[in-house]
Amino acid sequence: MTAFAWWRLNSQMIQYFKWMGGFLVLAATSVTLSAEVSWKDTFQIHGFASQAYILTSGNNFFGKSRDDGTLDFRELGVNASLRPLPDLLVSAQLLSRWAGESDDGSIRLDYGLLDYSLVSQADFLGGVRLGRIINPLGLYNDTRDVAFTRPSILLPQSIYFDRTRNLALSSDGGQLYSEYRTGMGDFLFQFGVALPRTEGQEVERALFMRRVPGELKGNISLGGRLLYERDGGRVRLGISGVQTNIDYDPAGPEDPLQAGSIDFDLLILSAQYNAERWSLTGEYALRRIATKDFGPFGPSDASLTGESYYLQGAYRFTPNWEGVIRYDALYANRDDRYGSRFEAATGLPAHLRFAKDFTVGLRWDITPSFMLRAEYHNVNGTAWLPLGDNPDPFATQRHWDLFALLLSYRF
Amino acid sequence: MHGPVLDAQGELALSGAASRLDYHCSLQQGIGSRLMVVFRWLRHCLAIYLLVTLLSLICNSGAAAQEVIVHSDVPKESLSRTAVRAIFGMRLRTWPDGTPIRVFVLEDHSPIHSSFAKQKLGIFPHQLRRAWDRLVYSGAGQAPIEVSSAREMHARVAATRGAIGYLPKEMIDDSVRMVEIE
Repeated sequence: MTAFAWWRLNSQMIQYFKWMGGFLVLAATSVTLSAEVSWKDTFQIHGFASQAYILTSGNNFFGKSRDDGTLDFRELGVNASLRPLPDLLVSAQLLSRWAGESDDGSIRLDYGLLDYSLVSQADFLGGVRLGRIINPLGLYNDTRDVAFTRPSILLPQSIYFDRTRNLALSSDGGQLYSEYRTGMGDFLFQFGVALPRTEGQEVERALFMRRVPGELKGNISLGGRLLYERDGGRVRLGISGVQTNIDYDPAGPEDPLQAGSIDFDLLILSAQYNAERWSLTGEYALRRIATKDFGPFGPSDASLTGESYYLQGAYRFTPNWEGVIRYDALYANRDDRYGSRFEAATGLPAHLRFAKDFTVGLRWDITPSFMLRAEYHNVNGTAWLPLGDNPDPFATQRHWDLFALLLSYRF
Repeated sequence: MHGPVLDAQGELALSGAASRLDYHCSLQQGIGSRLMVVFRWLRHCLAIYLLVTLLSLICNSGAAAQEVIVHSDVPKESLSRTAVRAIFGMRLRTWPDGTPIRVFVLEDHSPIHSSFAKQKLGIFPHQLRRAWDRLVYSGAGQAPIEVSSAREMHARVAATRGAIGYLPKEMIDDSVRMVEIE
């Protein structure tokens, strides 16, 4: 069983490497030999690995974390980049991630893109990206799997919930970007048109709370972000949004569900202030999910608006020690914040519809490459609890705690 | 120190009403001594914190003024602060003549790096690191080339076309060119 999993992992990996290699060679052969600085010198390879221990009370998170805890949360990633021409960047990242029932370690391509710079001046630059591109969402989505770049072991789950990670992380298509540097600050703009990633079961689980016989397929979706940064990032203000469209392809005439569609819109407002010793961060998100045309046995034609926000403070006691404190809240339906109507309509526990998480954490950068973290969450509600780890909603507890340790390495 | 005494007194107190007064006295004494321990501990922490702050101040003031240096072929006598920030933020890829920019830095905790980032860029080292991480791990850009010493910085900038870096003023000679920041 394990041998088979490894074999599958390896064959997948070989496929990806072949693909990546072909990509790089193709880009490389297009280079003229007259380049003065050798393009080969621009090759970079970076990576990260992290292993967590999670102990919870009441509910499971990323594995069987209750009572004795679990080591079932691991992330391994490697990325390569090359600049075959001064204006062309080729980059790709492979990721393997284990997270209880939510993620099984299968290797996937997080991003793989060509970035061509059209204008490159000190005060204005712009270009285009093609391929699998990271969705520009909020302050943390860009590097959500790299423990070093996260403010805590678990990202604020109200906005960056890991239930639909692949969908949120990246999509396949094109993106335009531009940056203006002015005396009053920098304006960074990204806008993309792409097909969302609906691979795996995570979207099905999150939307239907079960497997469905047919297939979900991403349809043309839009996304963009405008960031304002002052003094090289001392002040950062952002607005980002996506409009994601997913269609359902029924398995056949016996499929009780009809060819319906799902619209998912997300708007995030972000603000951050970075002083030398402390940082203050807050984000607010509005989510709208609309389902239609699934027929009498599917979800009804309806739309739901959810709301999330967090406020987070970090303090660097020394360059190597940082403490973090955060309050994070998620309401699945802003018109039914505490789920009482949901409970009355479905008979399911009301606490599935909200989550309020109070977190404290400590980070120790042992060396620039090694980091150790510890954190404690006190949670009221289960709205972002992974369903795979907690298959019986009636067995979930409204009030629960989570303690986590994480060791991470990067290069 | 007085913890076990408190417990013993507590047990005694249960044995009779007469000794209850003793118990209360010793309880107060116990809390008092515990508070003293906490205070002493806090005082130690404060002392260590002040010492660390003082040391870091000394280290920082020990680092002389840093200057931006470039390879001698780079066609620039001066750079705007916007340009230097864009370059060290790894956003700007080429010099005006099309030569690729090669950025050299020292490690994050180096006093030279720290004072360069703060004085010349007006950016804290941790912000720079976050900005590079965002580029490197999202595929949007590359990391600067990290060198292990000021001497290596000097040698690499002198030898690499399109190179830019920084050094303490007294280490700069004719093999590299110093660039004014406007």
